[in-house]
Amino acid sequence: MRHGKYPFIIGFLVVPLALYLVFVVGAYLQMFQLSFTDWSGFGGFHYVGFDNFVKLMEDPVFWIALRHNLYILIAMPIVTIAIALFFAFLLNVGGKSRGGTTQGVRGSKAYRIIFFFPQLLALAIVAVIFGRVFGPDRSGMLNGLFPDSWSPWLFLADERWALLCIAVVLIWQQIGFYVVLFSAGMGSIGQEIYEAAALDGATKVTLFFRITLPLLWDTLQVAWVYLGIAAFDLFALVNIMSVNKGGPNNATQVLSYQIYLNAFQNSQAGYASAIGVVLFFLTLTFAALTLRVTRRDAVA
Amino acid sequence: MAAARQDDQVLTVGRSRLGTIFANTGGVLFALVMIFPVYWVLNTALKPRDEVMSFRPYFVPAHPTLDNFSSAIKAENFVEGLINGLVITLLAVAAALVVGFLAALAIARFAFYGRKAIILVILCVQLVPLLALIIPLFLMLQKANLTNSLIGVSLVYLMLLLPYTVWTLRGFIAGIPKELDEAAMIDGCTRAQVFWKIILPLTGPGLVATAVYGFIQAWNEFIIVNTLNSPAKQNLMAWLLQNQTERGTAWGPLMAGAIITSLPVVIFFLLIQRNIATGLTAGAVKG
Repeated sequence: MRHGKYPFIIGFLVVPLALYLVFVVGAYLQMFQLSFTDWSGFGGFHYVGFDNFVKLMEDPVFWIALRHNLYILIAMPIVTIAIALFFAFLLNVGGKSRGGTTQGVRGSKAYRIIFFFPQLLALAIVAVIFGRVFGPDRSGMLNGLFPDSWSPWLFLADERWALLCIAVVLIWQQIGFYVVLFSAGMGSIGQEIYEAAALDGATKVTLFFRITLPLLWDTLQVAWVYLGIAAFDLFALVNIMSVNKGGPNNATQVLSYQIYLNAFQNSQAGYASAIGVVLFFLTLTFAALTLRVTRRDAVA
Repeated sequence: MAAARQDDQVLTVGRSRLGTIFANTGGVLFALVMIFPVYWVLNTALKPRDEVMSFRPYFVPAHPTLDNFSSAIKAENFVEGLINGLVITLLAVAAALVVGFLAALAIARFAFYGRKAIILVILCVQLVPLLALIIPLFLMLQKANLTNSLIGVSLVYLMLLLPYTVWTLRGFIAGIPKELDEAAMIDGCTRAQVFWKIILPLTGPGLVATAVYGFIQAWNEFIIVNTLNSPAKQNLMAWLLQNQTERGTAWGPLMAGAIITSLPVVIFFLLIQRNIATGLTAGAVKG
């Protein structure tokens, strides 16, 4: 049976590995190389050592952007996971029990479709839609719903709320995926475990914290990593929704958008690459830390 | 009191009337929050301009009209965007299915040196923030004369779709018992025939799910196509954004455009709604 194995393996893997080497490894190497140059985006360049990174440390906008990424990194996954867990639990175990098996609340199928729907919309479309939702005068959706006596909220044009608005949109768009993800995870938890616990007098709350949550841990971990990566990205929404290129007054500035601005608007591709290097290490550190800190000894 | 509650729970798992009401109300309210912006888009797309800009909210258009849709379709580059988007998406998805299926076969059916490393690499690609790669990607494709070309964008999309495709198909293939392969080989099948005649048909649902997921991702992408290509070679997402900046307050046609651009994805989703949810989460749950 072993005869003739390697021709298949090599033949099957050569294309994806070549693509990976060129587009990912190659691209990263080039980014690292460019981060040590003064390249503008056109023509030639000189190597400038660590100049770009020194400049980075002294650039207040870089620190503002980094801080915004970290705010969202901390707040967004917690809120998203909490809401998604709540609804996944509701859809799977929240309803009445018939014939000894717990069920979701009435209409769980409809909920599942509704929650998942935003996931289908492109971020570009979501951003355009929420431009209208957050419209800063009375023709905007939210301002139209508010009582007439209120003066219109500025939302994205207000320094204090702009970043929060973008975070809300991100949560709105992503939550459906996690409801479905957690539902799938909860579906694989055996009914008899819930039944046994219920017979012992466990309430819904106990069921959730003592059974669902621990058995769902691996899925939560994956969700946390995905959400963290999304928190480091944010480019699409900031690019389309933010007022005045990451404003007002840098209130929605994030690292990925700084890369874009420096590379394609300020003609500082070398400097932009340096930010890319920082973003690369931040994401990697985050993913490694999450997987390490939340690791628990496997039971099986 | 405590005893009475306990009795209740033996019959029906930890439930109270109040809890049920709370759960249902919460569900309905949250569903409304989730769906309202989508409803508002439909509503705006069907309204004439004076109702869109009115300071009094019209929850239902007083004079519904399809003008917004026709003016969106007639706008510059709309048809090009539609065709470009289809070409790029279909190319990328078809390539991802072929390449991904073969790679998944290798990983799921053979034990070989470096298998773990390859799996790790596949998963790591998903960690990459796309924007960090956009400068080098642009340079590489420029060197290969593939900027402002549909092929270049499809190649990048192929790379982005592959990790998910390989990972999900691997799960599906691993679920097919190896005994089937062995039985077929005893009956005289070659290894290639086993892959072609047994594993491929049995992976059908997985292929459908990954194809749809890939379609959604590629169809919805705009950052890469926007950076690499000029407007005549972009897709509908980029077209939409172009229109947003150029005609800032023409919300009606813009929303109509948003609906048209989302339509293929939404139709796909509704057709095989159950499969996609499974496919979408298969990799993550097992990962």
